[in-house]
Amino acid sequence: MRKSRIVGLLFCLVFPLSGQSEETQVQRGAHVALEVCNACHSLKYIKYDDLMKIGFTKAQVDAMRGDKEMGAPLLSQMAPQDELGMFGTVPPDLSLMAKAREGGAHYIYSMITGFYTDAKGQTQNKVFPGIKMPDVFMIAQADAAGKAAIEKKARDVSVFLAWASDPQAEDRTTLGKYVIAYFVFLTILLFFLKKKIWKKLGNH
Amino acid sequence: MSKIISWVDQRFPLSYFIKHELTDYPTPRNLSYWWGFGFLAGFVLVIQIVTGVFLAMHYKPDSKLAFDSIQHIMREVNYGWLIRYLHSTGASAFFAVIYTHMARTLYYGSYRRPRELLWWTGQGLLLLMMATAFMGYLLPWGQMSYWGAQVITSLFKATPVYGQEIVTWLRGGFTVDDPTLTRFFSLHYLFPFLIFAAVVIHLVALHTVRSSNPSGINLADKDNIPFHPYFTIKDLFGLGVFMIVYLLIVFFKPDLFIEAANNIPANPMQTPAHIVPEWYFLPFYAILRSVPDLAGGVVAMAISVLIFAAMPYLDRSRITGGARYRPVYRAMFYIFVINIFVLGYVGANPPTGPLKTVGEISTTIYFLIFLLLPFVSRWEERMVLARGLPAAVEEQARREIAEAEGNA
Repeated sequence: MRKSRIVGLLFCLVFPLSGQSEETQVQRGAHVALEVCNACHSLKYIKYDDLMKIGFTKAQVDAMRGDKEMGAPLLSQMAPQDELGMFGTVPPDLSLMAKAREGGAHYIYSMITGFYTDAKGQTQNKVFPGIKMPDVFMIAQADAAGKAAIEKKARDVSVFLAWASDPQAEDRTTLGKYVIAYFVFLTILLFFLKKKIWKKLGNH
Repeated sequence: MSKIISWVDQRFPLSYFIKHELTDYPTPRNLSYWWGFGFLAGFVLVIQIVTGVFLAMHYKPDSKLAFDSIQHIMREVNYGWLIRYLHSTGASAFFAVIYTHMARTLYYGSYRRPRELLWWTGQGLLLLMMATAFMGYLLPWGQMSYWGAQVITSLFKATPVYGQEIVTWLRGGFTVDDPTLTRFFSLHYLFPFLIFAAVVIHLVALHTVRSSNPSGINLADKDNIPFHPYFTIKDLFGLGVFMIVYLLIVFFKPDLFIEAANNIPANPMQTPAHIVPEWYFLPFYAILRSVPDLAGGVVAMAISVLIFAAMPYLDRSRITGGARYRPVYRAMFYIFVINIFVLGYVGANPPTGPLKTVGEISTTIYFLIFLLLPFVSRWEERMVLARGLPAAVEEQARREIAEAEGNA
């Protein structure tokens, strides 16, 4: 009995997608983005059905979208007009955020975890002084264990936003390997063909 | 088959053309791979036209839709990301190839008599290309697109008397806006075809004067080989190497030449922290900023691009083979190339503190090289002839000098 449980555990480690597996990092990040960020920020270039491309099942996406359509973009849950009144600015769309800042996903992580309390007791941000976004995860007040949990969430959501900014990245690099291999092979053939043709000239 | 060909030949010089321009076209056998960049430039032009035509099927030249339509291409159009990355990387590839092509011409003195017109048509091509790239960069309607266009169009304020009117006329309004986008789109679609026509003229000029060669000597007939198959295969191999580098960027580092700020939609109310043009304009941009006066800067920048046309007259040496037999010219060439990179670095960064001084010194060096060339080249000619040269080179140089003095 105990033996079979160990085998089962090993099986899950080797084939993590079979059975009840842990969610992947990008999926955990998607939950954070939808449950936290999306309250104020839109992700207008991402549609609910796009989430199936990162491994969510249809049932899971249905649970996330509520009464919104499958093909609906992820607009912010707050109306932009209300946000303007509340924050003095409309929070920027996040679909391209990982491409729109120098440093990409690293910038997003540093910004989310960059909140601290200054000498005057006010919350500031190390990478974005004067930021209007509140410290949503309250990292400025968190203790060491709390900080570690927030940093994990920040990493997850950065990975998700990197995906959102470039959903074709995986297709691109997969196809790219074949394309490059093809051109390397072709170029080697052309090199030998060139040698062969130029041989006819002889050396005079 | 031969019947069809002879039918065509009686009505159109097809066989003659293939024979004259390809299978019998005499090409110096000693051309190195540096001579392959003209062909590569032609190939990239075709990539840009083909991908551009497909992009235009999905792109919307409207200030409210342009940015979204790029994301539509990237996310929803089948292989839209591939077409767009081929095009955006292609622009950089085009300049990299053309700058190498120009550097080869300068190093080997290929602009010299009788190739002045060939060189000038190339200069015209460079200007057309710069205009096309500049207008194309506005189309994604990102922050850098918008503010780059705003800065560059405002340079025309330096025009005497009608400055403001010309700026307004170029933009189709007082600021860069929807009318600017639509006219830039229209012209960005037109110019590549003008470039194509100019390439044909460039090739006609080339096939009249024929390729220069690394030795610089006018070769005897026995040293010329037919273009096809020898150079078709050599160029194809070069193309293979080029494609590997180009596609590595397209597939694995496609954002290399795209500024982060250009992934933020254009916002006329918010100026980016610092506005930088695309890398291929950076040296000229550095020259523009190194001159304190706006009009002076614009004139200096214009001259820095146009001065290449004067090379056949600025270089007064009759020693053939370009930099190969000319140590001083060779040193000047390398200083010029290094200086271009320094200017590029200066152009990419805010012009403050020591970098401002570096920019001013580099700008001075840039023009000094051209201005000193007429004197240095004559002095160097005497020095090199006195020191002795390979017989064939010396003979041709002395013949050219005698001819020139006979004409005078």
